[in-house]
Amino acid sequence: MSAALLEVSGLTTRFDTRNGSLNAVEDVSFTVAEGEIVGLVGESGSGKSVTGFSILGLIDPPGRIVSGSVKLNGRELVGLSHAELRSMRGREIAMVFQDPSATLNPVLTIGRQMRLAIAAHESLSEQAANARCIEVLTTVGIPDAARRIEAYPHQYSGGMRQRVAIAIALLNRPKLIICDEPTTALDVSIQAQILTEMKSLAAKLGTAMIWISHDLATVSSVASRILVMYAGRLIEAGPIAEVLRQPRHPYTKGLLNSLPGIATPGQDLVQIPGSMPSLIDLPEGCSFRPRCDFADGECGVMPALSVDGARSLRCHHALARGTAP
Amino acid sequence: MTTSREALVQVEAVSKRFTPDISFGDRLASWLGSPVETRTVHAVDQVSFDIRRGEVLGLVGESGCGKSTLGRVVAGIHPPSNGQAMIDGLTVMGEGRNPLKTTTRIQMVFQDPFASLDPRVRIGETISEGPLAHGLVTKAGAGAYVSRWLEAVGLPADAAERFPHQFSGGQRQRVAIARALAMQPDVLICDEPVASLDVSIQAQIINLFLKLRRELGVTMLFISHDLGVVRHICDRVAIMYLGRIVEMGPAAEIFANPRHPYTRALLDSVPKLVTGSDALVTFKPIQGELPSPLSPPSGCHFHLRCPFVKARCKTDPPDLDGHAHAVSCHFPLTKKAE
Repeated sequence: MSAALLEVSGLTTRFDTRNGSLNAVEDVSFTVAEGEIVGLVGESGSGKSVTGFSILGLIDPPGRIVSGSVKLNGRELVGLSHAELRSMRGREIAMVFQDPSATLNPVLTIGRQMRLAIAAHESLSEQAANARCIEVLTTVGIPDAARRIEAYPHQYSGGMRQRVAIAIALLNRPKLIICDEPTTALDVSIQAQILTEMKSLAAKLGTAMIWISHDLATVSSVASRILVMYAGRLIEAGPIAEVLRQPRHPYTKGLLNSLPGIATPGQDLVQIPGSMPSLIDLPEGCSFRPRCDFADGECGVMPALSVDGARSLRCHHALARGTAP
Repeated sequence: MTTSREALVQVEAVSKRFTPDISFGDRLASWLGSPVETRTVHAVDQVSFDIRRGEVLGLVGESGCGKSTLGRVVAGIHPPSNGQAMIDGLTVMGEGRNPLKTTTRIQMVFQDPFASLDPRVRIGETISEGPLAHGLVTKAGAGAYVSRWLEAVGLPADAAERFPHQFSGGQRQRVAIARALAMQPDVLICDEPVASLDVSIQAQIINLFLKLRRELGVTMLFISHDLGVVRHICDRVAIMYLGRIVEMGPAAEIFANPRHPYTRALLDSVPKLVTGSDALVTFKPIQGELPSPLSPPSGCHFHLRCPFVKARCKTDPPDLDGHAHAVSCHFPLTKKAE
């Protein structure tokens, strides 16, 4: 594996709300290698999006990063000034959000917003900037880009708008793109198109990605490694095919069993009882304890993240490895 | 298409078009003799199907294909522009409609339980309001009646005293289902009932639907874009594309042997869980996007994106053949090819 491009260690992001403080992200550590696609999976409230926002320094009060570090190519990002963060965002790490109709400015043409994104980091002549925009739009599969570039976002369909958002993320050739549920708002046929293109783009340009999603199947078709989060903590990580084939955390296994695509039609799904606890009022010890079949007295203490080769796990009662010794 | 006697819901050649109101300016222009462009959306186009008693029919398609509009026509929320929807031989909407006789026999469960429950009304009142208004239960019996339905959907009886904000998304969806069932409908129309829920909660609600099927024999029209969910719950499936049903038949049959190129492409587009090896997954994405329902293409609606398109497809719209596994295509696929 090549050197780590991004190194997150002990990241904790806290929100102080009227009802009390909560750690949306707690003690999260992972690395992303150059050119690697890492899937970050969890349900709503698991902290996966806040992790992505924290890396980019996009946490606004009442939220703040209380501890931990985020290093990009060895340079610490936590604690950078506003201006330093601005010059880093887009150029070194870019982000693609879930809803492209909310991230594009409705009153500027696509070309204008793209040229602004370039101008934020380098001074290019209008023609050169335009040429780069058209080139990137063509890369993400926008037909007739030279003409479409002067259109407004409302003249694009949802799928095309998401392609534009991806194109903007690619404009300054960042090393890492954080994708926060980039295909969730799209139809399956468009999702399939975008997934295929993102994957080949990442391979072609050598861009690393953190792919945040609640959909295990989508993640499994793009990522090579998976991180599973629950109630703010990383609970299992490893090479994706291995983790999905032999999940070792009861929650990961429960998630897989919940998917209707795998079960026999008409049979009851093996469900996880209950729902995710409130982050303000987490149970003592392992957060998954109230919903876990294997919970016992030992689970009253939060298990540490144990590392075993390429896989890591936060559980006292790791599920058996099956065939492995 | 044969209409068997046991069919509870019959939808006959239903079309639904939406035409926006003509603005004052346009009216003035047309009065002065200039042509006015009317922008009519053909949301549903000549759709027919039956649902037998106790059957669950899945209605699948991408956004904008008209599946929700069709559901609302069947529920009597929108009147159809042409054709009719009938329940037990009674027209749901249109002339001779008896609202009490039909509308209470159909209930809906909507996608977003945060929007479909009144935040200022206690759960018990939300559930009992309909049954009280229609005399299904007396005021004195309402409490017990509500607890019975709360229990049926897996909520504690004391939930009746609480407000929607005290519940999670999955629990709210249970309340919405209880509210619909408390009307003792013949047909339940579910419009993406699990789409806004998390995976682990979604599994709980799917299990609830399976239980309701088994125990109460609920007849359902289950609208969803999620093929995995539909395959799991439904007996039969209808695939919609741009206002028309392109394929309809037993769920197992459709998923194993799709005969319409669109169905096949849709199935291929669904990301599969890759657990075998690190092998790259190759999608076969459908080319292009859904055309605008403002100006649907001529002939077969799918011909612009179809890999097997021939000259005839561009002019001649195919009809749904009358088989149990019906397909609307001039050149249907024979078998699942290599």
